[in-house]
Amino acid sequence: MRWLDWYGDGALHVLDIGLACCALEFDAAARQAAALPADVAPDARVAVVISGTVTDRLAPTVVALVEACQTADLPRPTVVSFGACASSGGPYWDSYAVTKGVDQLVGVDVFVPGCPPPPEALQAVFDELVGRVRR
Amino acid sequence: MRVVPAEGWDGAAAEAYAEGWTAFDWLGAVDEIGRRDCLRIVLALRDPTRPGEPELLLSTDLPRSEPRVASLRERWAGAGWHEREAAELFGVEFVGGERRALLLGADFAGTPLRKDEVLAARTGAPWPGGKEPGESAASPSRRRMMPPGVPDPEVWGDRDAAAPDADADEIAASAVGGRVRRRPR
Amino acid sequence: MSAPVEPAAVEPAAGTGPHGSIQLIESACTSCMICARECPSWCITIDSHTEPIADLPAGTRERTQNVLDHFAIDWSLCMYCGICVDECPFDALEWVSEHTVAAASLVDLTHGRAELAPRSGSGPAPRPGLDAGRA
Repeated sequence: MRWLDWYGDGALHVLDIGLACCALEFDAAARQAAALPADVAPDARVAVVISGTVTDRLAPTVVALVEACQTADLPRPTVVSFGACASSGGPYWDSYAVTKGVDQLVGVDVFVPGCPPPPEALQAVFDELVGRVRR
Repeated sequence: MRVVPAEGWDGAAAEAYAEGWTAFDWLGAVDEIGRRDCLRIVLALRDPTRPGEPELLLSTDLPRSEPRVASLRERWAGAGWHEREAAELFGVEFVGGERRALLLGADFAGTPLRKDEVLAARTGAPWPGGKEPGESAASPSRRRMMPPGVPDPEVWGDRDAAAPDADADEIAASAVGGRVRRRPR
Repeated sequence: MSAPVEPAAVEPAAGTGPHGSIQLIESACTSCMICARECPSWCITIDSHTEPIADLPAGTRERTQNVLDHFAIDWSLCMYCGICVDECPFDALEWVSEHTVAAASLVDLTHGRAELAPRSGSGPAPRPGLDAGRA
């Protein structure tokens, strides 16, 4: 779990809840992010990215982290379900141990498909969020 | 592979240790249902003075109804983790072993890696492949296609109430997918 | 606070590879159900019906063919394994390099025949729920 200043200019703060292999793609997307952000400005955007398989065992922790961001004195966070596992259980949709979609537990604003999604898919979501158009 | 009786498990491990197989590599369980009515425990050991040697495998069969064997964690502390995993996922009791759950929640019931354990999500969801070409709904009158992992409904699920419960062997054998076979009456 | 980092380190669409999404060539599909049966994630649903083949030569015995009514891939479940593409005996499923785009709801991640059809242009697909109402 990490808190990142995504663009390095304070415009977007990202909490990564890395749970499985999708977290590697998050890392690939986050390679230019600054690791230790300054205070969150009132006009900044905040995103929580749930990247990877949410197991029933860990689900309460994931929920607590998202809710902590929602109730903290922060701009309302955008909750991103990154990859098939977080969105629906993905290849583990029939597992005895996996939560079949984190949206059953917390409100999700954006679902990114993929197993795993490419880093560009996450970057596109963030660019959209802060209104930075590429190319 | 040295196959030893369950009551000789601890002794066989001690003997292997004395021969120089002192390094614990892994311990696992296999549900042998369909071949034999047992859970097989396998222990892999290495001799650190002969790193190129293949590992020594020790194996023992435990009855599925009451799988119980001595814990080896006093000899190899690392075996405790593997035993806890086998205990949770296969329902094996390791006498003298650590009893705390390792992976699953305290309220979890079942032994998910036994082959007669039915995945509720699979049986509860309609399988998209159950339809035939040219169909928009699965026809109940046909010999149905079943997905892997879901037993024949006549064995598990829609079983005749008058029939005795299906045994584990029957459930595991019927959950292989494909056309539902007509079973002899 | 660190100096702003140039955010163009990750180029959109670059490195996405050929396995970004799957398209359906409807003219090749025979509704044979093989892809739906082979899919480990159960993410492909197909409805079809049979119709008599018209314009058979006189005296020929009447024959029927399957007609596709509904074909959908649930991208929230898909694990991008490509088994459906490999198994299709008629090459009706093909990989495309553009990644399936993110959506604001799980319902919007189920793509039907219109979304799965090959696109003539190379521009990004509309994003259901995200681009809606956005000119």
